[in-house]
Amino acid sequence: MSDRERLQELAALQALGLLPAGSDDLDAFLAEAGEQGEALARELALAASALSVEARPVAPRPEVKARLLASLDPTRLPERRAGSRAGAWLALAAAALLLVLVGLDDWKLRATRDDLSGRTAELSRKLSDAEGRARAAEVEKARQELYRRVLESDDVRVLSLGGKDPQPAARARVFWSEKAKRGVVVAGNLQMLPPDKQYELWVFDKGKPVSAGVFDCDPSGRVVFESKDMPMVTLAQNFAISIEPKGGMPQPTGPIVLIGS
Amino acid sequence: MNRPPPDTDPALVARIEARDADALALLYDRHSARLMGLAQRILGVSGEAEEVLQEVFLFVWRSAHTFDAARGSVLAWLLVATRSRAIDRLRARRPASRGELKRLDDVPETASPLDVESDSVSREWEAVCRAAIGELPAEQRRVLELAYFEGLTHVEIADRTSTPLGTVKTRVRLGLMKLRERIRPYREGGSRE
Repeated sequence: MSDRERLQELAALQALGLLPAGSDDLDAFLAEAGEQGEALARELALAASALSVEARPVAPRPEVKARLLASLDPTRLPERRAGSRAGAWLALAAAALLLVLVGLDDWKLRATRDDLSGRTAELSRKLSDAEGRARAAEVEKARQELYRRVLESDDVRVLSLGGKDPQPAARARVFWSEKAKRGVVVAGNLQMLPPDKQYELWVFDKGKPVSAGVFDCDPSGRVVFESKDMPMVTLAQNFAISIEPKGGMPQPTGPIVLIGS
Repeated sequence: MNRPPPDTDPALVARIEARDADALALLYDRHSARLMGLAQRILGVSGEAEEVLQEVFLFVWRSAHTFDAARGSVLAWLLVATRSRAIDRLRARRPASRGELKRLDDVPETASPLDVESDSVSREWEAVCRAAIGELPAEQRRVLELAYFEGLTHVEIADRTSTPLGTVKTRVRLGLMKLRERIRPYREGGSRE
Protein backbone atom coordinates (compact mmCIF):
# COMPACT_ATOMS: atom_id res chain seq x y z
CA MET A 1 0.00 0.00 0.00
CA SER A 2 1.40 3.37 -0.96
CA ASP A 3 1.77 6.24 1.50
CA ARG A 4 -1.05 8.02 -0.29
CA GLU A 5 -3.39 5.07 0.17
CA ARG A 6 -2.28 4.69 3.78
CA LEU A 7 -3.11 8.35 4.42
CA GLN A 8 -6.49 7.90 2.77
CA GLU A 9 -7.18 4.83 4.87
CA LEU A 10 -6.26 6.51 8.15
CA ALA A 11 -8.25 9.63 7.30
CA ALA A 12 -11.24 7.48 6.34
CA LEU A 13 -11.06 5.48 9.57
CA GLN A 14 -10.79 8.66 11.58
CA ALA A 15 -13.71 10.24 9.76
CA LEU A 16 -15.83 7.36 11.02
CA GLY A 17 -14.36 7.41 14.53
CA LEU A 18 -12.64 4.07 14.05
CA LEU A 19 -9.06 4.95 14.94
CA PRO A 20 -7.85 3.45 18.22
CA ALA A 21 -7.22 5.93 21.02
CA GLY A 22 -3.62 7.02 21.19
CA SER A 23 -3.10 6.35 17.51
CA ASP A 24 -0.78 9.02 16.25
CA ASP A 25 -0.36 7.55 12.78
CA LEU A 26 -2.80 9.94 11.20
CA ASP A 27 -1.34 13.00 12.88
CA ALA A 28 2.11 12.01 11.61
CA PHE A 29 0.82 11.46 8.09
CA LEU A 30 -1.15 14.70 8.15
CA ALA A 31 1.88 16.63 9.32
CA GLU A 32 3.87 15.16 6.46
CA ALA A 33 1.16 15.75 3.90
CA GLY A 34 0.67 19.37 4.97
CA GLU A 35 -2.39 21.29 3.76
CA GLN A 36 -3.27 18.61 1.25
CA GLY A 37 -3.52 16.05 4.03
CA GLU A 38 -5.67 18.28 6.19
CA ALA A 39 -7.95 18.98 3.24
CA LEU A 40 -8.28 15.26 2.65
CA ALA A 41 -9.20 14.63 6.29
CA ARG A 42 -11.84 17.41 6.17
CA GLU A 43 -13.29 16.17 2.91
CA LEU A 44 -13.52 12.58 4.09
CA ALA A 45 -15.22 13.76 7.26
CA LEU A 46 -17.70 15.61 5.05
CA ALA A 47 -18.17 12.43 3.04
CA ALA A 48 -18.88 10.56 6.29
CA SER A 49 -21.39 13.17 7.44
CA ALA A 50 -23.16 12.73 4.10
CA LEU A 51 -24.22 9.33 5.40
CA SER A 52 -26.47 11.12 7.88
CA VAL A 53 -28.95 11.85 5.08
CA GLU A 54 -29.82 8.16 5.16
CA ALA A 55 -31.47 8.78 8.51
CA ARG A 56 -35.00 9.98 7.94
CA PRO A 57 -35.73 13.22 9.80
CA VAL A 58 -38.01 12.66 12.77
CA ALA A 59 -39.78 15.54 14.46
CA PRO A 60 -39.18 15.23 18.20
CA ARG A 61 -42.13 15.51 20.54
CA PRO A 62 -42.90 19.10 21.56
CA GLU A 63 -42.13 18.21 25.18
CA VAL A 64 -38.47 17.74 24.30
CA LYS A 65 -38.09 21.35 23.27
CA ALA A 66 -40.10 22.57 26.24
CA ARG A 67 -37.94 20.48 28.58
CA LEU A 68 -34.78 21.75 26.94
CA LEU A 69 -35.72 25.41 27.20
CA ALA A 70 -36.89 24.96 30.78
CA SER A 71 -33.56 23.43 31.74
CA LEU A 72 -31.37 26.24 30.45
CA ASP A 73 -29.24 28.03 32.96
CA PRO A 74 -31.07 31.06 34.25
CA THR A 75 -28.52 33.38 32.72
CA ARG A 76 -30.74 34.84 30.07
CA LEU A 77 -30.60 38.49 30.05
CA PRO A 78 -32.32 39.90 32.82
CA GLU A 79 -35.36 41.81 32.25
CA ARG A 80 -35.78 44.61 34.70
CA ARG A 81 -36.36 43.04 38.07
CA ALA A 82 -39.55 44.33 39.59
CA GLY A 83 -38.53 42.91 42.93
CA SER A 84 -35.29 44.87 42.96
CA ARG A 85 -37.03 48.12 42.11
CA ALA A 86 -39.66 47.54 44.78
CA GLY A 87 -36.86 46.78 47.19
CA ALA A 88 -35.19 50.06 46.30
CA TRP A 89 -38.38 52.06 46.92
CA LEU A 90 -38.93 50.22 50.13
CA ALA A 91 -35.45 51.07 51.21
CA LEU A 92 -35.94 54.75 50.39
CA ALA A 93 -39.25 54.91 52.22
CA ALA A 94 -37.79 53.21 55.24
CA ALA A 95 -34.87 55.59 55.28
CA ALA A 96 -37.25 58.59 55.10
CA LEU A 97 -39.31 57.18 57.93
CA LEU A 98 -36.18 56.90 59.98
CA LEU A 99 -35.45 60.59 59.46
CA VAL A 100 -38.95 61.54 60.64
CA LEU A 101 -38.55 59.41 63.69
CA VAL A 102 -35.29 61.10 64.47
CA GLY A 103 -36.95 64.53 64.46
CA LEU A 104 -40.00 63.58 66.53
CA ASP A 105 -38.61 61.44 69.20
CA ASP A 106 -34.95 61.89 69.71
CA TRP A 107 -34.81 60.23 73.10
CA LYS A 108 -36.50 57.08 71.81
CA LEU A 109 -34.14 57.02 68.90
CA ARG A 110 -31.15 57.22 71.25
CA ALA A 111 -32.55 54.26 73.14
CA THR A 112 -32.67 52.18 70.02
CA ARG A 113 -29.84 53.88 68.17
CA ASP A 114 -27.65 50.89 67.82
CA ASP A 115 -30.42 48.74 66.49
CA LEU A 116 -31.59 51.36 64.00
CA SER A 117 -28.16 52.17 62.73
CA GLY A 118 -27.73 48.48 61.99
CA ARG A 119 -30.99 48.44 60.08
CA THR A 120 -30.07 51.59 58.17
CA ALA A 121 -26.79 50.08 57.11
CA GLU A 122 -28.61 46.99 55.92
CA LEU A 123 -31.16 49.05 53.99
CA SER A 124 -28.42 51.16 52.41
CA ARG A 125 -26.61 48.04 51.34
CA LYS A 126 -29.81 46.66 49.78
CA LEU A 127 -30.40 49.95 47.99
CA SER A 128 -26.88 49.98 46.67
CA ASP A 129 -27.18 46.37 45.52
CA ALA A 130 -30.47 47.10 43.78
CA GLU A 131 -28.99 50.09 41.99
CA GLY A 132 -25.94 48.06 41.00
CA ARG A 133 -28.08 45.30 39.56
CA ALA A 134 -30.22 47.79 37.67
CA ARG A 135 -27.12 49.46 36.23
CA ALA A 136 -25.60 46.11 35.23
CA ALA A 137 -28.85 45.09 33.56
CA GLU A 138 -29.01 48.36 31.62
CA VAL A 139 -25.43 47.99 30.45
CA GLU A 140 -25.98 44.39 29.48
CA LYS A 141 -29.18 45.23 27.65
CA ALA A 142 -27.51 47.99 25.65
CA ARG A 143 -24.64 45.68 24.86
CA GLN A 144 -26.98 42.96 23.64
CA GLU A 145 -28.94 45.38 21.47
CA LEU A 146 -25.86 46.66 19.71
CA TYR A 147 -24.48 43.16 19.43
CA ARG A 148 -27.62 41.99 17.68
CA ARG A 149 -27.77 45.08 15.49
CA VAL A 150 -24.32 44.32 14.08
CA LEU A 151 -24.98 40.60 13.86
CA GLU A 152 -28.20 41.08 12.02
CA SER A 153 -27.11 43.75 9.60
CA ASP A 154 -27.50 42.53 6.04
CA ASP A 155 -23.80 42.85 5.20
CA VAL A 156 -22.33 41.21 8.27
CA ARG A 157 -19.21 39.14 7.61
CA VAL A 158 -17.77 36.54 9.94
CA LEU A 159 -14.09 35.83 10.45
CA SER A 160 -12.59 33.34 12.87
CA LEU A 161 -9.42 34.31 14.67
CA GLY A 162 -7.00 31.62 15.80
CA GLY A 163 -4.84 31.82 18.90
CA LYS A 164 -1.10 32.30 18.71
CA ASP A 165 1.67 32.17 21.26
CA PRO A 166 1.48 33.11 24.08
CA GLN A 167 -2.22 32.15 23.98
CA PRO A 168 -2.59 29.37 21.38
CA ALA A 169 -5.87 28.16 22.92
CA ALA A 170 -7.57 31.54 22.49
CA ARG A 171 -10.42 31.66 19.99
CA ALA A 172 -12.51 34.51 18.62
CA ARG A 173 -14.96 35.39 15.92
CA VAL A 174 -15.41 38.85 14.51
CA PHE A 175 -18.74 39.96 13.09
CA TRP A 176 -18.07 42.99 10.95
CA SER A 177 -20.53 45.23 9.18
CA GLU A 178 -18.91 47.22 6.38
CA LYS A 179 -21.91 49.52 6.24
CA ALA A 180 -21.93 50.22 9.95
CA LYS A 181 -18.11 50.33 10.00
CA ARG A 182 -18.03 48.50 13.25
CA GLY A 183 -17.98 44.97 14.54
CA VAL A 184 -18.48 42.63 17.44
CA VAL A 185 -15.86 40.25 18.79
CA VAL A 186 -16.86 37.10 20.64
CA ALA A 187 -13.78 35.57 22.21
CA GLY A 188 -13.02 32.74 24.59
CA ASN A 189 -10.07 31.03 26.28
CA LEU A 190 -8.34 34.37 26.82
CA GLN A 191 -6.04 34.83 29.77
CA MET A 192 -6.73 37.48 32.38
CA LEU A 193 -4.20 40.28 31.97
CA PRO A 194 -2.40 42.25 34.66
CA PRO A 195 -4.10 45.56 35.56
CA ASP A 196 -1.72 47.61 33.41
CA LYS A 197 -2.53 45.64 30.23
CA GLN A 198 -5.54 45.33 27.95
CA TYR A 199 -6.46 43.51 24.80
CA GLU A 200 -6.63 45.71 21.70
CA LEU A 201 -8.56 44.87 18.53
CA TRP A 202 -6.97 45.77 15.21
CA VAL A 203 -8.69 46.09 11.85
CA PHE A 204 -6.39 45.70 8.86
CA ASP A 205 -7.25 48.25 6.20
CA LYS A 206 -5.03 48.25 3.11
CA GLY A 207 -2.64 46.08 5.04
CA LYS A 208 -2.27 48.54 7.92
CA PRO A 209 -3.60 47.94 11.43
CA VAL A 210 -6.12 50.44 12.76
CA SER A 211 -7.12 50.31 16.42
CA ALA A 212 -10.73 49.31 17.00
CA GLY A 213 -10.69 49.63 20.79
CA VAL A 214 -9.45 47.97 23.93
CA PHE A 215 -11.17 45.47 26.18
CA ASP A 216 -10.73 43.06 29.06
CA CYS A 217 -12.01 39.52 29.38
CA ASP A 218 -14.00 38.17 32.29
CA PRO A 219 -12.45 35.73 34.78
CA SER A 220 -13.58 32.80 32.63
CA GLY A 221 -11.60 34.19 29.71
CA ARG A 222 -14.62 35.23 27.68
CA VAL A 223 -15.66 38.55 26.26
CA VAL A 224 -18.19 40.06 23.91
CA PHE A 225 -16.75 43.34 22.72
CA GLU A 226 -18.08 45.94 20.30
CA SER A 227 -15.58 47.93 18.32
CA LYS A 228 -15.82 51.68 18.18
CA ASP A 229 -17.17 53.32 15.02
CA MET A 230 -14.49 53.21 12.35
CA PRO A 231 -15.58 55.41 9.43
CA MET A 232 -11.96 55.74 8.31
CA VAL A 233 -11.75 52.04 7.39
CA THR A 234 -12.32 51.57 3.65
CA LEU A 235 -12.28 47.76 3.65
CA ALA A 236 -11.65 45.54 6.66
CA GLN A 237 -9.41 42.81 5.28
CA ASN A 238 -8.37 41.08 8.47
CA PHE A 239 -8.47 41.38 12.24
CA ALA A 240 -6.07 40.74 15.06
CA ILE A 241 -5.99 41.11 18.83
CA SER A 242 -2.82 42.05 20.69
CA ILE A 243 -1.86 42.73 24.30
CA GLU A 244 -1.11 46.40 24.84
CA PRO A 245 -0.58 48.82 27.71
CA LYS A 246 -3.85 49.79 29.41
CA GLY A 247 -5.78 52.26 27.26
CA GLY A 248 -4.29 50.95 24.02
CA MET A 249 -1.69 52.10 21.54
CA PRO A 250 -2.01 53.73 18.12
CA GLN A 251 -0.05 50.84 16.58
CA PRO A 252 0.49 47.28 17.86
CA THR A 253 3.44 47.01 20.19
CA GLY A 254 2.71 43.85 22.18
CA PRO A 255 2.29 40.22 21.21
CA ILE A 256 -0.54 39.37 18.81
CA VAL A 257 -2.54 36.63 20.50
CA LEU A 258 -5.30 36.17 17.92
CA ILE A 259 -5.32 36.74 14.17
CA GLY A 260 -7.59 35.90 11.26
CA SER A 261 -6.42 33.29 8.83
CA MET B 1 -14.79 35.79 4.73
CA ASN B 2 -18.33 34.77 3.95
CA ARG B 3 -21.44 36.91 4.03
CA PRO B 4 -24.12 35.09 5.94
CA PRO B 5 -27.53 36.69 6.09
CA PRO B 6 -29.08 37.38 9.48
CA ASP B 7 -29.96 34.28 11.46
CA THR B 8 -27.51 32.05 9.69
CA ASP B 9 -26.36 29.15 11.81
CA PRO B 10 -23.06 30.81 12.83
CA ALA B 11 -24.90 33.98 13.81
CA LEU B 12 -27.29 31.93 15.94
CA VAL B 13 -24.39 30.19 17.66
CA ALA B 14 -22.82 33.55 18.45
CA ARG B 15 -26.12 34.75 19.90
CA ILE B 16 -26.36 31.57 21.95
CA GLU B 17 -22.90 32.31 23.27
CA ALA B 18 -24.34 35.61 24.48
CA ARG B 19 -27.04 33.60 26.29
CA ASP B 20 -29.85 34.22 23.82
CA ALA B 21 -32.33 31.41 24.39
CA ASP B 22 -34.41 32.51 21.40
CA ALA B 23 -31.44 31.76 19.16
CA LEU B 24 -31.15 28.29 20.69
CA ALA B 25 -34.85 27.71 20.09
CA LEU B 26 -34.42 28.78 16.46
CA LEU B 27 -31.42 26.51 15.95
CA TYR B 28 -33.40 23.70 17.54
CA ASP B 29 -36.37 24.27 15.24
CA ARG B 30 -34.05 24.26 12.25
CA HIS B 31 -32.08 21.10 12.97
CA SER B 32 -33.80 19.01 15.63
CA ALA B 33 -35.66 16.74 13.19
CA ARG B 34 -32.49 15.90 11.31
CA LEU B 35 -30.56 15.26 14.52
CA MET B 36 -33.42 13.32 16.08
CA GLY B 37 -33.58 11.17 12.95
CA LEU B 38 -29.87 10.45 13.21
CA ALA B 39 -30.05 9.63 16.92
CA GLN B 40 -33.06 7.39 16.35
CA ARG B 41 -31.40 5.61 13.44
CA ILE B 42 -28.47 4.79 15.74
CA LEU B 43 -30.34 4.06 18.98
CA GLY B 44 -33.69 2.92 17.69
CA VAL B 45 -37.03 4.34 18.64
CA SER B 46 -36.62 5.02 22.32
CA GLY B 47 -36.48 7.80 24.83
CA GLU B 48 -32.72 7.67 24.51
CA ALA B 49 -32.78 9.46 21.16
CA GLU B 50 -34.68 12.33 22.76
CA GLU B 51 -32.21 12.39 25.62
CA VAL B 52 -29.35 12.62 23.13
CA LEU B 53 -31.10 15.46 21.33
CA GLN B 54 -31.54 17.35 24.57
CA GLU B 55 -27.91 16.68 25.55
CA VAL B 56 -26.69 18.02 22.23
CA PHE B 57 -28.57 21.30 22.55
CA LEU B 58 -27.54 21.68 26.18
CA PHE B 59 -23.98 21.17 24.99
CA VAL B 60 -24.55 23.91 22.41
CA TRP B 61 -25.95 26.20 25.11
CA ARG B 62 -23.03 25.61 27.44
CA SER B 63 -20.24 25.30 24.90
CA ALA B 64 -21.19 27.55 22.00
CA HIS B 65 -17.82 29.21 22.42
CA THR B 66 -16.13 25.99 21.31
CA PHE B 67 -17.68 26.20 17.86
CA ASP B 68 -15.07 27.25 15.36
CA ALA B 69 -16.43 28.32 11.99
CA ALA B 70 -13.00 27.82 10.46
CA ARG B 71 -13.25 24.11 11.20
CA GLY B 72 -16.64 23.49 9.69
CA SER B 73 -20.32 24.20 9.54
CA VAL B 74 -22.71 24.37 12.47
CA LEU B 75 -24.72 21.46 11.12
CA ALA B 76 -21.59 19.32 10.79
CA TRP B 77 -20.76 20.26 14.39
CA LEU B 78 -24.25 19.24 15.52
CA LEU B 79 -24.17 16.01 13.53
CA VAL B 80 -20.81 15.03 15.03
CA ALA B 81 -22.06 15.88 18.53
CA THR B 82 -25.24 13.86 17.99
CA ARG B 83 -23.56 10.84 16.47
CA SER B 84 -20.85 10.92 19.11
CA ARG B 85 -23.34 10.82 21.97
CA ALA B 86 -25.60 8.27 20.32
CA ILE B 87 -22.71 5.94 19.46
CA ASP B 88 -21.32 6.28 22.99
CA ARG B 89 -24.67 5.10 24.36
CA LEU B 90 -24.84 2.32 21.82
CA ARG B 91 -21.34 1.16 22.68
CA ALA B 92 -22.15 1.29 26.38
CA ARG B 93 -24.89 -1.28 25.77
CA ARG B 94 -22.36 -3.75 24.38
CA PRO B 95 -19.92 -5.97 26.25
CA ALA B 96 -16.68 -4.16 27.07
CA SER B 97 -14.56 -6.31 24.78
CA ARG B 98 -13.41 -3.64 22.41
CA GLY B 99 -10.34 -1.48 22.53
CA GLU B 100 -10.75 2.14 23.41
CA LEU B 101 -11.54 4.22 20.36
CA LYS B 102 -10.69 7.81 19.82
CA ARG B 103 -13.50 10.06 20.94
CA LEU B 104 -15.83 10.77 18.11
CA ASP B 105 -15.62 14.45 18.97
CA ASP B 106 -12.10 14.27 17.58
CA VAL B 107 -13.42 13.60 14.13
CA PRO B 108 -12.72 16.68 12.06
CA GLU B 109 -15.70 18.85 11.45
CA THR B 110 -16.50 19.66 7.92
CA ALA B 111 -17.15 22.67 5.82
CA SER B 112 -20.50 21.94 4.30
CA PRO B 113 -22.89 24.12 2.38
CA LEU B 114 -25.49 23.79 5.06
CA ASP B 115 -24.93 26.83 7.20
CA VAL B 116 -27.27 28.89 5.12
CA GLU B 117 -30.02 26.49 5.80
CA SER B 118 -32.65 27.35 3.27
CA ASP B 119 -34.90 24.44 2.43
CA SER B 120 -33.80 24.42 -1.18
CA VAL B 121 -30.11 24.25 -0.32
CA SER B 122 -30.80 21.57 2.24
CA ARG B 123 -32.83 19.48 -0.18
CA GLU B 124 -30.27 19.87 -2.93
CA TRP B 125 -27.51 18.80 -0.58
CA GLU B 126 -29.45 15.77 0.58
CA ALA B 127 -30.20 14.78 -3.00
CA VAL B 128 -26.51 14.94 -3.91
CA CYS B 129 -25.59 12.82 -0.88
CA ARG B 130 -28.32 10.26 -1.52
CA ALA B 131 -27.30 9.93 -5.14
CA ALA B 132 -23.66 9.52 -4.14
CA ILE B 133 -24.51 6.87 -1.55
CA GLY B 134 -26.79 5.11 -4.01
CA GLU B 135 -23.95 4.74 -6.49
CA LEU B 136 -21.65 3.00 -4.03
CA PRO B 137 -21.10 -0.73 -4.50
CA ALA B 138 -23.28 -2.56 -2.00
CA GLU B 139 -20.36 -3.96 0.00
CA GLN B 140 -18.78 -0.52 0.43
CA ARG B 141 -22.08 1.04 1.43
CA ARG B 142 -22.62 -1.75 3.94
CA VAL B 143 -19.33 -1.23 5.78
CA LEU B 144 -19.85 2.54 5.89
CA GLU B 145 -23.34 2.13 7.33
CA LEU B 146 -22.16 -0.38 9.92
CA ALA B 147 -19.47 2.05 11.04
CA TYR B 148 -21.54 5.23 10.89
CA PHE B 149 -24.87 4.07 12.28
CA GLU B 150 -23.91 1.08 14.39
CA GLY B 151 -20.57 2.35 15.62
CA LEU B 152 -18.86 -0.93 14.81
CA THR B 153 -15.08 -0.96 14.64
CA HIS B 154 -13.41 -2.28 11.53
CA VAL B 155 -12.60 -5.47 13.46
CA GLU B 156 -16.26 -5.91 14.38
CA ILE B 157 -17.34 -5.19 10.84
CA ALA B 158 -14.92 -7.85 9.60
CA ASP B 159 -16.42 -10.26 12.11
CA ARG B 160 -20.03 -9.33 11.32
CA THR B 161 -19.59 -9.59 7.56
CA SER B 162 -17.10 -12.48 7.61
CA THR B 163 -14.69 -10.39 5.61
CA PRO B 164 -10.90 -10.07 6.03
CA LEU B 165 -9.90 -7.01 8.04
CA GLY B 166 -7.80 -5.60 5.22
CA THR B 167 -10.75 -5.81 2.87
CA VAL B 168 -12.93 -3.94 5.34
CA LYS B 169 -10.39 -1.13 5.60
CA THR B 170 -10.10 -0.97 1.82
CA ARG B 171 -13.88 -0.78 1.47
CA VAL B 172 -14.06 2.01 4.03
CA ARG B 173 -11.36 3.91 2.19
CA LEU B 174 -12.76 3.38 -1.29
CA GLY B 175 -16.33 4.10 -0.20
CA LEU B 176 -15.50 7.38 1.49
CA MET B 177 -13.20 8.43 -1.34
CA LYS B 178 -16.02 7.86 -3.81
CA LEU B 179 -18.46 9.84 -1.70
CA ARG B 180 -15.88 12.59 -1.48
CA GLU B 181 -15.45 12.65 -5.25
CA ARG B 182 -19.19 12.88 -5.81
CA ILE B 183 -19.70 15.61 -3.24
CA ARG B 184 -16.67 17.67 -4.20
CA PRO B 185 -18.13 19.20 -7.42
CA TYR B 186 -21.12 20.32 -5.41
CA ARG B 187 -18.88 22.03 -2.85
CA GLU B 188 -16.76 23.55 -5.58
CA GLY B 189 -19.86 25.04 -7.15
CA GLY B 190 -18.90 28.15 -5.22
CA SER B 191 -22.13 29.93 -4.50
CA ARG B 192 -23.55 27.22 -2.34
CA GLU B 193 -20.93 27.36 0.36
